[in-house]
Amino acid sequence: MTVRNRDNQKLQTRRRIIEAAIRVFSRDGILASATADVAKEAELSHGSVFAHFGTQAALIAAVIEDFGEVLARRLHELVSSGAGTREVLQAHLDAIAESEDFYARLVVESSLLPAGARDSLISIQSAICFHLSSVIEAETESGALRVMPLHLLFNTWIGLIHHYLMNRELFAPGASVVERHGRELLDHFMYLISKGG
Amino acid sequence: MKLCVSCGMPMGKAEDFPLGDESKDYCVHCARPDGSLQSYEERAAGMAAFIVRTQGLDEGAALSAAKTMMSRLPAWRGRS
Repeated sequence: MTVRNRDNQKLQTRRRIIEAAIRVFSRDGILASATADVAKEAELSHGSVFAHFGTQAALIAAVIEDFGEVLARRLHELVSSGAGTREVLQAHLDAIAESEDFYARLVVESSLLPAGARDSLISIQSAICFHLSSVIEAETESGALRVMPLHLLFNTWIGLIHHYLMNRELFAPGASVVERHGRELLDHFMYLISKGG
Repeated sequence: MKLCVSCGMPMGKAEDFPLGDESKDYCVHCARPDGSLQSYEERAAGMAAFIVRTQGLDEGAALSAAKTMMSRLPAWRGRS
């Protein structure tokens, strides 16, 4: 086997483990899942999972980073193509909806996660902030949005979305809370931050 | 699409690169005005300041999170 084939196979196995971990974490919870459960789901040996991720914390961090990387790429393309605040927030909601079971677990368990994994969640928020801040600053400058500190604006958005996700069984039992309430939450948030709102 | 080795930002267009130089592996935000890569300390401080400004975290918590994020990126792997 060539070096390139070996590297490809390694990447494929890593991908397989991450996808299995997302399914297991979504179903059973992040902290309640053992690496052995992930190995079983991926139909790999426990040793193979350990060869890629030495600790459970490393696996959790990798899964969170994977979610963040997909989101960052999407937001970057959107902002580069001239999208505005509403479109960026909609893309954020769409990304959450695609992995809602996992992301809701992440929000609920975040304060209990190992520090490295928690920092990965901050990293996701930073990627969102990075892309959001440039469009918000431009729209504030043009007079479309109210002038307010960026951290309060961002935390208001995150607080709203995370509250619905943390209590999804109350807001949308057995269904996607983003699908059911996302539009309403986005409309409301845009109303709050818009100058004419 | 390239990812910045220093902060992980996707780099798709010339303006994402320092001085528009697409051969660089780091982005415009991680570069000094002359196009060279910022030092570890400069980048950690810049990233922490951004987290404080946009997420409102405590300065110490922001610096710690910035360093953890950086330790996973190719330019700073293993640093803390």
